[in-house]
This record gives sequence, C-alpha cells and structure tokens, in this order.
Amino acid sequence: MKSISNTEPKTAMQSFWSRAGKARRWRAFAPLAVLIVLCILIAIANPNFIEPRNLIRVANSAAVPLTLAMGMTFIILLGSIDLSVEGAVSVAAMVLVLLATNDSNTNNYGWFAVIAAIAASTVMGLASGFLQTTLRIPSFMATLGVWFIGLGFSVYMLGGSAVRLMDENIRALALSRFLGFPLAVWIAIAAFAVAIVIQYHTRIGRHIMAIGGGEDVAELSGINLRRVRIMAFGLAGFFFGVAGVLAAAQLGQSNAVIADGRLFAAVTAVVVGGTALTGGEGGVLNTLVGVLIVTVLANGMILLGISPYIQQTVQGLMIIAAVALSLDRFNLKIVK
Amino acid sequence: MKNSFDFRTMLANAWVQGAIPPALLVVLVIIVEIGSPGFLTGETLALLLSNTAVLFILATGVTFVILIGGIDLSIQAVASLASVILAQLLPSMGLLAFPVAIAAGLVFGILSGVVHVWLRVPSFVATLATGGVVAGMALWLANGRAITIEEGGRASTSWINATIAGTPVVVLIAIGVGLASYLGLRYSRFGRQSLAVGAGEPAAYAAGINVDRTKIIAFALSGTLAAIAGVILAARLSSGSPSLANQLLLPAIAAVIVGGTAITGGLGGVGRTAVGALIISIVRIGMTFVGVNIFAENVVFGAVLIAAVAITIDRSKIAIIK
Repeated sequence: MKSISNTEPKTAMQSFWSRAGKARRWRAFAPLAVLIVLCILIAIANPNFIEPRNLIRVANSAAVPLTLAMGMTFIILLGSIDLSVEGAVSVAAMVLVLLATNDSNTNNYGWFAVIAAIAASTVMGLASGFLQTTLRIPSFMATLGVWFIGLGFSVYMLGGSAVRLMDENIRALALSRFLGFPLAVWIAIAAFAVAIVIQYHTRIGRHIMAIGGGEDVAELSGINLRRVRIMAFGLAGFFFGVAGVLAAAQLGQSNAVIADGRLFAAVTAVVVGGTALTGGEGGVLNTLVGVLIVTVLANGMILLGISPYIQQTVQGLMIIAAVALSLDRFNLKIVK
Repeated sequence: MKNSFDFRTMLANAWVQGAIPPALLVVLVIIVEIGSPGFLTGETLALLLSNTAVLFILATGVTFVILIGGIDLSIQAVASLASVILAQLLPSMGLLAFPVAIAAGLVFGILSGVVHVWLRVPSFVATLATGGVVAGMALWLANGRAITIEEGGRASTSWINATIAGTPVVVLIAIGVGLASYLGLRYSRFGRQSLAVGAGEPAAYAAGINVDRTKIIAFALSGTLAAIAGVILAARLSSGSPSLANQLLLPAIAAVIVGGTAITGGLGGVGRTAVGALIISIVRIGMTFVGVNIFAENVVFGAVLIAAVAITIDRSKIAIIK
C-alpha cells in the first residue's frame, strides 16, 4: 500500500485533524466504552446476562477466539493479514485427534499429540512467512493459498468424516474446571499473558511494532525485516495451534467444518478492538476488548432471541464500522 | 544464480505476455487425450464445459476487480445468497425470481465497492466483511438449511439445463457473458478506464478519470456475475444453500491468476480468464483421473495459486510488500 501526501493545501482538513489528534487519545478507549455500554444494555434487556452461569459461558466461548486473535494481532500489527487461520486450526485439530486416543486409529500419544498439533500449526505459519518473503508476494495471497492447502490436507487426512477425540486428559481441557472456569479459559488467559509479554517485553514484539509503523524506517534502523516477518507468522501459527487444540477439546472431535468462521471471528475481534489494519497501532490489550465485544454481543443476541444465523451479518457490519471509524486513512490516497 | 534469475524473468515475461497459459492448456488437453483417447468429445466435453461455465462466470467477475488492483473475497457468499433467493422465490414468482436474485448480487457488489472506496477500507477486508454480511443473510433467509427446488419450481429452471443444437445452455450463457465482458473491457469507456486505474492509480487520477466510480462499477460487476453464477449453480443442482458456492472462491481466483491477469492490476483480461478457467477445470478432472482424493484438490489449487501469483506479480508496482 502506497501513500501519497496531498499537495493541495487543505487548511480546513488540517485543523480538523489537529483537533482529531486530541480526540485520538480518547479514541483508544472507545472500544472499552462500547464493551461497557453493551454489557449494561444487554443486562437491562435480559438480567440473566449477569448470572454467574452465563458469564462463565461467555468466558468459555471467548477462549478459542481470544487465543486465535492473539496470533492475528501480531500479523495485523505488521500491516499484513493472515487468511490461513482456518487452515491452521483444522490442521492442529486434525493432528491432535489422529495422534491422541480416537475412534479411527490405535494411536495413543497423549500430551505428545498436543505438542505435535501446535508444532504442525507453527510450522505452517513459518512456511507461509517463508513463502511470502522468498517469493515476494503479498501476505493475503500467500496465506489464501496456505489456507486451502491446510484445509484440504486436514479434510483428506480425516477422510471427510468426523473423528472423535477420546483421550480423557485432553478432553478435560474443556470439561474440568478450576475456580469455576473451564481449563480452556485459563489456557486462553495464559495465551493472552504470553502475548502481552511478547508485545511489550521482547525484541521481536518491538520490531513488529516498528515494521508496522513504517517498514522503510525499520529497515534503515537495522531490523532484519525478513526474519521478523517469518517469526511473526510462526508466532501466529503457534497461537492458532493452541486454539485448534482447544477447539477440538471443546467439540470432542475434529471434522471438516471445525474451523468454519474462525478467520472472520479473529479479524473482527482484532479490528473491533481498535488495532489499525495499516499496522503499528493497537495491540493485544485492544484485542482482548475486541474479543469480549464480539462474544458478549453474540451471547446477548442469543439471550434476546435474535436468530443466530444473523450473527455473521452483524460481525461483518462491525468490521466495516470499526475500520471506517479508526485511524487516519483519509491521508492515504490509494487504497487497494 | 544469474541463470536462475534470468529464467525467472523469462518465465514471468512470457506468462504476462499471455504465451504460457494457452500453451499450458494445449499441453493439458494433449495429456488428457493420450491418457484417455476420445475423452474430450461429445457428452464428456459438454459436461466439462458446463462445469467450467459457472467457474468462468465467477472468475470473470473477479477479473474486473483484480484488473483495478483489488480483490473480491465475497463472491462465494454472493453466489450462495443468490441461490438461496432463487430457491425461495421460484415457487411464488416463477421466472421473475432470476432478476431478483441477480439484483441482490448487484446491490451487494455496489455495497462492497462503496465500503472500499468511500470508507477507504482495503478491498480484501472490505469484501471479507461484506462477504460475512451476505453469508449471514443467506443463512438467515434459508434458516441454515439447503432448500430443494421442488417440481413446480423446476419448470422455471429447466431451460438452464436444456441444450440448444447440442450445446448446453449454460455454456451459451457463459459465452455470452464472456463476449460481453470482453467487448466491454476492450471498447467501453469503463473498460479502458479500469485498465488505466489498475496500471497506475495516481496517473489515472491525474488524467481526470473518476477512479472511485470505476472501482465501484468493477465491484458491482463482480457481484452481479457472482449472482448469475449462483443462480445457474442452483438451477443445475436443483437446490439453493447458504454454503452452495463456498468451494468456488479459491478456484475462481486461481483461474484469473493462472490465466495471466496480474494481481497488481492493469494487465490481463477476460480471454485470459477463460483460458485459466479451462486449465483449472482440466486439472480438476485430471486429478480425479489420476486418483487424487477429492478432499486433497484444494491442496493442489492452493499451491497453484501461490505459484501463479509469484510468477505473474509485477514487483515494480509495489514498493513494500505486505
């Protein structure tokens, strides 16, 4: 994406944007405000919303999207996009169920299956990073290809049918609870903590922000763009793998549609949280708020008796609204 | 090292000049002929072309968007929505259901264009979002199920499955769509302007072209053609479903790129997409023939897409590759 500065003087626009500069600090809190207002409105419309049982349900259904969106956040911070979410999730889920105790073969590798699943997805991420930097093609095209390669491979391995996960220890990730919440929620929280540490306290995290903020400047200051990019996609693959394991544990099986709609949910959460698609602005904290907005809204719509089928429509409109309201894209002349 | 680079440049040049895709198609046809003589005649040929027709119409729509340098990830959702609308309305409206379903495609195409242009959202996110909106509506309208077109409705769809002088009507429609698109792109003002926008947006803007309008028209065409593909698919399968066309997004984009239209825009056309669609169809048949598992086909298409993008992309046009 190239940007050209406007040559014509635009004093009215300039003064508008300098005022907008102040508004920008407030804008960082807009997603949080939306989340709070949303919770209050839903609680008024249906008090069942704030019952502990329902809140646990919300947390439980946020676990997989949160883990996914952590990975996606780093990619979007780079200014890229990873469309291979569904491929990565389905590969991780497939590897997990086929290596752990299942009803299709005699494997029984236990926790090793979990490690293998996450490793498979991480390797996929590294591969799509490697492909796009080596072939020099845009990330959305490379990951579009990897998406279907992963999906095709996992459906092929599953033989087009559903394979049940019968390892009790792994199923316990979804079934047993600690302090009232299912283990999956705690794992998602752990993933969130890891993402926070990576973003704010590691070199790779700072480098990702720097590249998203301005790739040419980052390169001039000595950052190895290619290595950071490959590592970021590998990192995303790691989070997608964890999410795939959680999804398979929650569902108790892996099938052709286990990953359906996951890409959409992840992108919605990141964008609604306020991370800019142009990169370098936002982060995992924003994404936590974004995930909660999406999940609370979905839960609220069910409580209010709105058809669940319309949820994707609402999420799509949310992406459009959030992207349109965020950032200073009006300075960009070319948007592809 | 130098040699391999020269080879890559040569490959890229020949591909974007349109020499490789037709040659590839001829080679594929010869391979199929050798593997199974007489396969590409009579009924099997008619079936191959009918199967290609839907893919080609979808791909032609995306061609317009890719030519201006964008991408449309909502076509499969729009096609599915059109199939649902057709299946829902056939019993009550008869043939009038066709224009209604196609108009829905036009509306959502324009919506994608407007979101992309006015709100300045990159096209892949804009169409990902509108695709979600459309998919949700299709699910909601169909109540999450596939809708069978019953005996009564089939009277109105039978003309699509008929043949005229031995040629399936579907193929004739595809040829008509292809010709109109080809002529439109070559001779209409919109066609020339969209090539200019794709070739270099600042120059097109400076030359006084209404870039925004050109882009919105391209997305509108993509939506309309996706809806046409959707109704044809519904008529052929006698059913409409919210996930009917989900498997067609990747092959459609692959057809455009393999045909030799560069994703950077400004270079390519409908003729190339026709060649690309035929290549994809024959590769698919070939895979079934060689015994590649049907589920594994996506693996091949994904790899083909990445390879074709890598060969055809014009790197001089993008300073920073995100």
